[in-house]
Amino acid sequence: MSQIKNQLAQLNGSANALFISYYTAQGEPFPNNVDKLCGPNMTDFPPFHANGTEKTKLVELYRMVAYLSASLGNVTRDQRTLNPDAVSLHGKLNATIDTMRGLLSNVLCRLCNKYHVGHVDVTYGPDTSSKDVFQKKKLGCQLLGTYKQVISVVAQAF
Amino acid sequence: MAFSVALHPAFLLVVLSLKTSRSEVLGEPFQLTPEILTVSTESKLQQVNLQWTVPNLTHQELKMAFQIEISRINTSNIVWVENYSTTVKWNQLLHWNWKSEIPLECVTHFIRIRAMVDDAKYLPQNSWSNWSSWKEVSVQVSVAPNTLLIFPDNKLLEEGSNVTICLLYGQYLYNVSCMLQKEPIHGEQLDSHVSLIKLNNVVFHSVSGTNIHCKAMNATKMIFGTVLFVSKVLEEPKNFSCETQDFKTLKCSWEPGVDTALVWSQQDSQSYTLYESFSGRRELCDHRNSHNWQITDDSQETYNFTLTTENNLRKRSVNLIFNLTHRVHQKAPHDVTLENIDARKANMTWKVLSRGNNYILLCQIELQHEREVIHEHNVSVHMSASYLFSDLEPDTKYKARVRCADANHFWKWSDWAQKEFCTPEAAPSQALDVWRQVRSENGSYVVTLFWKPLLKSQANGKIVSYNIVVENQDRLSESEHYSVPAPALGTQLSLDPCSYKIHITANNSVGVSPESVMVLSNDSGHEEVHEKRIKGTKDGFHISWEPTSGDALGYVVDWCVHSRDQHCDLQWKNLGPNTTSTNITSGAFKPGVRYNFRIFEKSMQQKAQLLEKQTGYTQELAPLENPEVTINNFTSNSFILSWPSYDSDFQSAFIEGYHVYLKSKEMQCHPKGKRMTLPDYWVLCEYEIKDPEQKAFTVENLRPESHYEFLVTPYTSAGQGPNETFTKVMTPDENSNMLLKIILPMTLCVLLIIIACYWKSQWVKEKCYPDIPNPYKSSILSLIKSKKNAHLIMNVKDCIPDVLEVINKVEGPKTQCIVSGNPHNEDVSMKPPSSVPTEDGSSGSVPFFFFENFTYDQSAFDSGSHGLIPGPLKDTPCQLGLLTPPEKLLNVLEKDYMKSLAESPTEETSLIYVSQLASPMGGDKDSLATNPPMPGHCSEYKMQMAVPGRLPSLALSENNSLTSEILLGQGEQ
Repeated sequence: MSQIKNQLAQLNGSANALFISYYTAQGEPFPNNVDKLCGPNMTDFPPFHANGTEKTKLVELYRMVAYLSASLGNVTRDQRTLNPDAVSLHGKLNATIDTMRGLLSNVLCRLCNKYHVGHVDVTYGPDTSSKDVFQKKKLGCQLLGTYKQVISVVAQAF
Repeated sequence: MAFSVALHPAFLLVVLSLKTSRSEVLGEPFQLTPEILTVSTESKLQQVNLQWTVPNLTHQELKMAFQIEISRINTSNIVWVENYSTTVKWNQLLHWNWKSEIPLECVTHFIRIRAMVDDAKYLPQNSWSNWSSWKEVSVQVSVAPNTLLIFPDNKLLEEGSNVTICLLYGQYLYNVSCMLQKEPIHGEQLDSHVSLIKLNNVVFHSVSGTNIHCKAMNATKMIFGTVLFVSKVLEEPKNFSCETQDFKTLKCSWEPGVDTALVWSQQDSQSYTLYESFSGRRELCDHRNSHNWQITDDSQETYNFTLTTENNLRKRSVNLIFNLTHRVHQKAPHDVTLENIDARKANMTWKVLSRGNNYILLCQIELQHEREVIHEHNVSVHMSASYLFSDLEPDTKYKARVRCADANHFWKWSDWAQKEFCTPEAAPSQALDVWRQVRSENGSYVVTLFWKPLLKSQANGKIVSYNIVVENQDRLSESEHYSVPAPALGTQLSLDPCSYKIHITANNSVGVSPESVMVLSNDSGHEEVHEKRIKGTKDGFHISWEPTSGDALGYVVDWCVHSRDQHCDLQWKNLGPNTTSTNITSGAFKPGVRYNFRIFEKSMQQKAQLLEKQTGYTQELAPLENPEVTINNFTSNSFILSWPSYDSDFQSAFIEGYHVYLKSKEMQCHPKGKRMTLPDYWVLCEYEIKDPEQKAFTVENLRPESHYEFLVTPYTSAGQGPNETFTKVMTPDENSNMLLKIILPMTLCVLLIIIACYWKSQWVKEKCYPDIPNPYKSSILSLIKSKKNAHLIMNVKDCIPDVLEVINKVEGPKTQCIVSGNPHNEDVSMKPPSSVPTEDGSSGSVPFFFFENFTYDQSAFDSGSHGLIPGPLKDTPCQLGLLTPPEKLLNVLEKDYMKSLAESPTEETSLIYVSQLASPMGGDKDSLATNPPMPGHCSEYKMQMAVPGRLPSLALSENNSLTSEILLGQGEQ
């Protein structure tokens, strides 16, 4: 459990820097319209209840991190194409995804060992491949804005 | 059936030909109305594709003109009219497209077409056919409420081009403002749901594109956007050229210009394609700026290349046509060798890649020394060549290099082929520039020889040593050889006072330089000439002289760089025979330093004779210090100030004189001095000594017993010395000398008298009243006190008494005395002490001890203490021990005396020493006078008697004839 807490703390500590790096790399109007373009208004983001039981929280955490991990993979792919020179952003995205993968493994291990939960149904974000470039930028920014906000709540919940 | 099928086309052809021939014959105009088949769109390209046919065409081929009209929004708003001519075949589908500047999603377009026969084979037609019906062109998009759609999406365009942005508003959306990056952009409202923004001359922002975003001012305040991918303009390749080195490969190169790649797969870097028209080969270039084209056909001499670069937006081409033999870039020469022929010549050989005997190359040869081209030459070469470098410097590194090019059709030089080499050494070519300094020392010459190092071009190698041959001119058979190893630039010889001829040469590994000769005569170093002062400038000195003889070989001017230091660093300058002046410049010259120049004339016999001495400063400075002044002949009215000479080499300028300042109160200056009044009634007199050789100044007319202050400072052309503190003096009293003459002898006389008197008194005292030794100061006392060595205490047996005196003449057995001090009577019987009378009347004899008086105290005696000197008895046993054997004495004390101590605890004093001179009883001096204690024989020591302090008074009757005995009672103290 301590590893989960440490990983959450690590994600929480790096989320803001990732968010800033992202919207800065997109250029105007993103840095000056963060609230409008990157607001955490994603409708399909998996819910998390901080006052639930540990088992519930772990299951919700698993769903959320699985969602984030997949979505950030798409964002990373898009940014490699769209902003090939934003090396710092690419590094932060990759590091976040790596940590999330480790966290997923640990959460599932905990669920399995303690609560005998071997499978959790997860949901993923919508396919954005057909979206135009501006929409992709915007969706990525919204994802990271949501992630920054949610991860702080999650980190405190454990 | 098959037959009928075969006949049908034949029939039609016949009918058509008949119809045509009829029209041709008749010349009737005929109209062909086109029919639009399909109208499609390509939204991404904003393109409308039109497909039509000419249904009534009966000719196999017919040249026709078509007019196409496009209207926007409604059919009456014609925005485009275009004529399109083509040869129409029978039953052919015709295509045409048009790109709209406005995204097709935003507005509806209408299109129609008409035609006209435009064939020379027929009569010219002056009228168009009827228009086809309008065809609507639109791209249907649905806009959700509260949503804004921006077209075009992800538009790729070139920098500097124009683009029209179209906004489609959803329901409830209004009042939208847009920005391009950070710049607001404004458009026109086309209708309630469409507005257009025209952007002219768009600029490249980044390879990631340029964001356009629009913000709706309704409640949602949502932001919508799109990205414009603005590419840089594709540039034409520059400096396109092709060349070959081996006739197998053509290397084509060019400057590609800016990369027009954009991200998001919008546009890759531009591609380059090389096309050769004669061979018809096309190759995609493997690099952005070059391509190797393989020569496959050896017979092809002429090449016509077209280099095409292309990206998604543009294509550019450049053309190059050339003959292969004119584009030969020769390979660098090979097998370059260099052979030294001698120290000044070297031969270079090389080979070139040739294409036959008739092929001539032009080769360029360069010779470099220290990266500087010193020789350049061009030669024609067939296969191999050689070139001789001459006039080289010995012992010098060179770099020779060669490059070649086609001599018939010069295209480019080949790369350089180079080789470094070093020429061998040669004997030094130049005689040394030598000079000497001569001084006499202990009757012989000390000759210091100097020479300047040869230049590299003169040394022709590394100088190993310098050879000196000294020939005695007076004794020709005598000559001495010296060898001074390099890099020494001088040596010192000690020679007898004769004439010498000195030969100096420099040696390297190959040979010897020409010799330099100097002749020293007997009087060398002793020449006396007048010294002339010269004035230098900031840059140096101008020296001029008068020649003395007309046959001078030349002149030498020498001087020391460091005139103030012991290390002279002699410099000299050789001058020609007709020279009478020269400028001596040196960066080492400093202001305030005296430089001494000597001008020598060299005779034909190489003998140097001193002509002149000149001395001067580049810049004279004020003196840095004042002389140390001493005062002589100091009287009440005058004194003389004197100071030593300056060392001329340490003068910062020529001293022109001295200023003497004298300061006092109420002083009268000498008429030759300047008077200045200072505050507080002080007067300053300034005297000027204009003779720098004068080193003394008499100050006169002074007042006795007055304070004076003086300062002596030299002055030069640059000013006087430092303003230091004045030295204070006070003139003596006028009578002081007289007093001294009287008082001094008198004082001496008095002193002599005092000394004589003292001596006399000492003599008298010594003779008459010698000093009584103080027993307390005796060293033996300390030994006794320590008691560390009991045996050190004098044993009475060892003592030789010099006086033996019986104090108490025993008339009865009452008193027994212990006698001590007889040196000759060691067997004096020591009787035990008798009992002492006590207060209670018990009878007993009182022991009396006689011993030598070590503690005689005259003052105590004089104080009227009746001769009784109370004192502590702490050391009593020891004192006793001086005269009495300790064991016996202690026995006495233990038995009687110590007993008495115990009986009288309040009385510390138990023994009282009584001088034999003291009054024996009750201060009765008369009785003392009548019965003085008489020593047995003459002794320097007075006898003293110790009496136990607390002994009761003896009951003495007047009849008792005690003459020198003192009886002490407790009450009498």
